[in-house]
Order: sequence, then structure tokens, then C-alpha cells
Amino acid sequence: MSPPAAGAASSGEAPPRELYTIPASSGWFRWDEIHETERRALPEFFGGAGGSGFGTASRNPRIYREYRDYIISKYREDPSRRLTFTEVRKALVGDVTLLRKLFAFLDASGLINFSASPSRPAPQKKPDAEAILEAPVGLQVTPRPPASYFVEERGGGGGENGFRLPPLTSYSDVFGEWAPGRGPICGFCGEECSDGSVQTLKDGFKVCSNCYANDESTGEANKHLGDKKERADNHASSAWSDAETLVLLEGVLKHGDDWDLISQHVRTKNRSECIARLIQLPFGEHMLGTINGKSDSKLHKNQTTERKVDKYIVKESSSQPTETVDGMQIDENKNDTDKSNEERPTKHRRLFSSIDPTVSLMEKLVLLTTSSSPDVVAAAADAAIKALGNENPLARKAFHLSEKEYRTRAFSSICARQGDGIVGGQDAEMLGHSVPGNKKGKMFISTTYQVRAAVATALGVAAARAKMLANQEEREMELLMASIIETQAPSFFCMLMSMTSCKLDDSANGPA
Amino acid sequence: MKTVSLGANRPSAVKFRMPTRDNLVPIRVDVEVDGQRYRDAFTWNPSDPDSEIISFAKRTAKDLKLPANFVPQMLHSIQGQLAEFRSYEGEEMQIREKIVPLKIDLRINNTVIRDQFLWDIGNLDSDPEEFARTLCDDLNITDPEVGPAIAVSIREQLYEIASQSVSAMREARVSKKGRRAPEFASNSKAMHNSLDLFKYFGSKGSVVRKRKEWYLYEPVVDVARKEEVGAIDATEELSSRNA
Repeated sequence: MSPPAAGAASSGEAPPRELYTIPASSGWFRWDEIHETERRALPEFFGGAGGSGFGTASRNPRIYREYRDYIISKYREDPSRRLTFTEVRKALVGDVTLLRKLFAFLDASGLINFSASPSRPAPQKKPDAEAILEAPVGLQVTPRPPASYFVEERGGGGGENGFRLPPLTSYSDVFGEWAPGRGPICGFCGEECSDGSVQTLKDGFKVCSNCYANDESTGEANKHLGDKKERADNHASSAWSDAETLVLLEGVLKHGDDWDLISQHVRTKNRSECIARLIQLPFGEHMLGTINGKSDSKLHKNQTTERKVDKYIVKESSSQPTETVDGMQIDENKNDTDKSNEERPTKHRRLFSSIDPTVSLMEKLVLLTTSSSPDVVAAAADAAIKALGNENPLARKAFHLSEKEYRTRAFSSICARQGDGIVGGQDAEMLGHSVPGNKKGKMFISTTYQVRAAVATALGVAAARAKMLANQEEREMELLMASIIETQAPSFFCMLMSMTSCKLDDSANGPA
Repeated sequence: MKTVSLGANRPSAVKFRMPTRDNLVPIRVDVEVDGQRYRDAFTWNPSDPDSEIISFAKRTAKDLKLPANFVPQMLHSIQGQLAEFRSYEGEEMQIREKIVPLKIDLRINNTVIRDQFLWDIGNLDSDPEEFARTLCDDLNITDPEVGPAIAVSIREQLYEIASQSVSAMREARVSKKGRRAPEFASNSKAMHNSLDLFKYFGSKGSVVRKRKEWYLYEPVVDVARKEEVGAIDATEELSSRNA
């Protein structure tokens, strides 16, 4: 940068000379002259294309110099800030288009804004590095879902009374602690890869270099969806297109819970991707619940056929309150209720299972009763027995309850248990082998009552649960309404105020 | 009112067109159907085929989710304005350097902008869009709808001035006042609009404005709060209905 000519304007005074550093390329500039460059760039001021004339009254060299000098002096008042056209045009008389052209010329030739900070940058583009990190359309890096997810999956099936829903995933579950801006996460060890160590395997996995090295040695098998190894979950897959999603949904409806079949159906995605995608869909959880419900009833059927006795289920469910009322360890029933306290899947699950005609009445009743806590079940059983007892004195006999016991309101759960236990026991007896004839009649009657009691219990439980859900919904609605009102209130009030002032103005001006 | 003789400032006659670099027509649409209102302002290239208008109207209605009965009215409005433009097109107009003050007084979404500046309607190289762009950049206006609205407003004012001069000429010709009359007429009519150039550009004047007048030619931008926007909308509508 060459030191310039003096900074003083062309006035007569002699202020202390300030040195301005101007770009070498504009060294031709002189305050008291108009350079050839200027003439060529702005011919309008100089009488046309030739630049040698004197222009018109409003566009001539004298005027040009006034404009130019003003702008440059204005800039030099504070060389560090960027002078904008809008600032100068308010002080200059003349066509803005022409002034704009002049300003642009000065800017381009380095006579102004040469040491100012650069102008506002263009809309931020993502730096290249981020293109990799942020994984646009083509890539999707997902860390390993929580390990429990797949354990649940495989744990399902026989031995459990109800199918265990995998814990519903939240954003943080699916994406772990990954946030935009962090490095890619290795598909195998789930850790952030330090820059430059990302390797891409054949399948499109992104792995850190350590795992890459290990993988090389262990070979192909690890890359497949081993049940044993959960790394398979981290397939860096392509984005789901609409067609693929459609095929996935078809597969789910057709194959239900069998993810292998589903992933075969959707040829381009592996099973973990299918599962992940289903969860991400807005109704995915419902579908999962549906699927589970279906297999649920299948499960019960299996159990039934195993044990060959319907009524045993009643016994089992009724024995469960026993266990849990003692407040002991988490047993299967408790797990059932815990999981089934998650609302919507359960709702749908129930719906589906009750529609299935192959399930026996007792099974359905059992399903209903397991939807609430054992205390509720016990209370419902109490109420049911009591109500039946009210109906018909025979019922009381069937339940082997003394008058006294019956009248006491404090139906302890023991009684209920006894009642149920007796129910169960009698069923067992009945379905056992030969039954003495004279007892048969009684047995028959009592069985009816037992059935009715069971039905009533189930209904009671369902009703209790429904009420609970309804209350919840109502609270939710209230909350939402409140938040809506809260958001709308300020704008509403503002409008009100302005309307009021409007009205006042009108009435003030009106009659006048 | 003296006629300014500015030496080489001779009017030249050109075919009517927008006195800007791009010959784009400002179009303003304000359609109301069944209580729904569609207001819009944009620029149109008059050399586009008319079939474009229909597809534009349909696409706009679809994008804004307007019912289909908006389209005929939109169409009618746009075609009408274009036809008016085209009716001037055959005429000649005088192009001479004439600096007029243009005003901006707009509210776009929640940005209010008021401004005044000088524009040479004889400068066929002018570019309202570029001016609007510079203005928004310099004032750090982030709302992308502001720039185009300013450009359309400028064009509308230019269009009005240009069409006025053409119709003035037409009148003068009709009234058979002779050749010199048009110049006079257009001069005198426009005098109160255009700048008294002599004052500024004459030998004793200065093109640098006095500081105390700067505020007149400075843009004023105001950004309303979110809640206020609804109120402002409503009051405007009220006043426009009453007026």
C-alpha cells in the first residue's frame, strides 16, 4: 500500500495532514483532477461516450467532483466503517441511479471502503466439512439403539403372560447423544470418530479406524445382522423414500411381528432399519402395539393349548393379585400392568384382541383385568361378587360367604381371594374327572356365578381404567386450551386497544 | 414558473415503455371472494405470452390454497392492467432528463418503511430492483418480501409519470394546439413535480444538501412487534372500508 497524497480536502485550510492508506491500484487519484479512468467509467458526466465533453447542466464535471469529493470525504471521516450508499444519497441531490453508479465506481476502484470490514457475507453456506458431518439426504448415521431394545424383542414369546413392548423410544434414545456438529459416530463402538479416522465399510457403515482394523480381521460375518452382535443396527442407510415406506407398511401388515420377513419384503433395508423407520413414523407405535396385540392373543392361545384348560387362566390371574398384594417382587403380572400403563398401544391392543373371535371369553376377561393394577382388580372383584350376591341369594351360597361376612363392607382382599381361589379350585375340580352327581347341580350354578363374577370383574376393571384415561384426556385438553389462550391473548389485547382508540377517534371526529 | 433551459437537455422521442432498464410492468391485484382477500403486487413482463397469465393465476391460487373462484377475478385484474399498459405502447413519449422525487410508504408484514429520493425518469438505465436491493442490504432488512415490494412501488410511480406524459401529449394533439404546445404542457404540468434543477445544479448552487434537510431524504424503517401486526392489519382494513 503506497502512502497517499495528502488527506486534506481541496479547501484552503491546512489541517494536520492525515495519512490514509489507499490501495496501490487507486494511486492515480488526485483531489483536484479528474482522471481518465473516471471519465471512462462515468461518461454521463462528461457529455456522452467520448467523455470529453462537458455534459448537461445537471451532469457535468463540476457536479461530478462535488459528488465524488463528498463521498470520499464522508468515508474518510471513519475509514474503518463501511460506508453505505443509503447514507450518502440522503445528502446528495441527483438521480439515485446515477449516484449509485458513481458510488459503485468509487467502491470498486478502491477509493472508498478500502479498509472497511467486508460487507455482510452472503447467506451462510455450510462449510464443506459440515457436509460430511451433517449427513444430507444420502446418508443417515444412527448410533446403536439402546441394548434393551433388542433384548425385549427376542425375549418375547412363551413363558410370559403378555408380550413385552419394547420401551418407547424418544429422540435421545434413537440418536443417543449425537447432535449436529459432532463428528460421525462409529457404527461399531458407538463413539464419536475423531476427524479423519472415519472409514466406510462395504455396506456403507461408518466406523472409526480402530473398529475398522478389528473388523478386517474378523471378516464378513460380523457385518451381517448377527443376533448376537448389535452392531448391525448401525447400518448407515439411505433415506427412506415414499415407495419404500409403503412397502414397509405392507410388510408390517402382512407379516406382523416377523421382522425378518418384513425386511425381506422391503428388499433394500435391513431389519433394524425397518424397525427404526416404523418407530419414527407417526403411527408407528400403534402399529407395534397392534402387532404385539396380535401375537398376544396368539400367545394366550398357545398357553391354552399347552395346558388344555381354559379356566386355569382365571386361576392364574386371580392368584396373581395374591402375590402382588403381598407387595413382593415384581412378578409377571406387575410387569404386564407396568407396561400396559403406557396408554395408546394398550388401548389398541385391547381392541384388537377382543375382536378376535378365536379367543375364548375367559381369555378376553383376563386381558381386560390385567389392564389395571391388582388393587383395582381386587376391588372390582369385590364389587362384582357383592352385586351378584345382591341379585340372588344362591350366589352367596356359591361364593361360600357367610351372611356376616357378606354384609361387612370391608371386603378384605382375603375374602376376594378366597372367593376367587374357590372359584379356581372348584373349576379345577369340575374339570377334573368324575363329579358326584348331587354336587353337579350346585357346581353348575356356582360355575355360572363364577363366570358372571369374572365378567363383572373384568367390566369393572375396564370401567375404572377408562375413567382414568378419560380424566387424563380432559386434563390434557385443558392444558392445551390454556396454552392456546396464553399465546393468543397478547395479540388479542393489542387489537382491542387499537380498536378502542379507533373508536374514540371516530367519535371525536364524527359529530364534528 | 420559468422554463429551465438546460442547454443540451433536448427531449428525445421514444416509443412508450417503462423508463427503466427492464421493461417490466407493475401489477397490483386485490381480489375479494366470499370474505377471503387476496392482495399482491408484482412485476410482469409484457412481452410474455398471455397464456402465462392463466397458468400464473392458477398456480398462485393453488399455492395460497385459495378457492378456484379466485382465478377468474385475478385473471381479469391482471389482464386489464396489462391491456392498459399496451394501449400506451403505440404512443410516443418524450424522454428528457427530469428528476422527480419518488416516495415510499409501505408496510410489508411487520416492517414499515418510509423513504423519499430523487429519480431521473429520463434515465432509461435505471433499475428499481437494484435500488431496492441496495436499500434492504444497507438497512439490514431481513424480510425478503420488502425488496420486491419497494421495487414495485417505484415502478408504479414511474409508470404513472410516464403514462401521464403520454396522455398529456395525446390530449394536446387532440386539441390541436400545434407542435410546440406539447412541450409546454408537459413542462408546466411536470414543473411542480420535478426538481428545480437550476437551484442545485446552477453555478451558484451545490448538489450537497444542507444537513438539516438530510432527514427528509433518509429512509425510516420500523419493525412492528408480532402482536401488533394483527392490530395494524385490522385498523387498516377498517379505515379502508370507511374511506
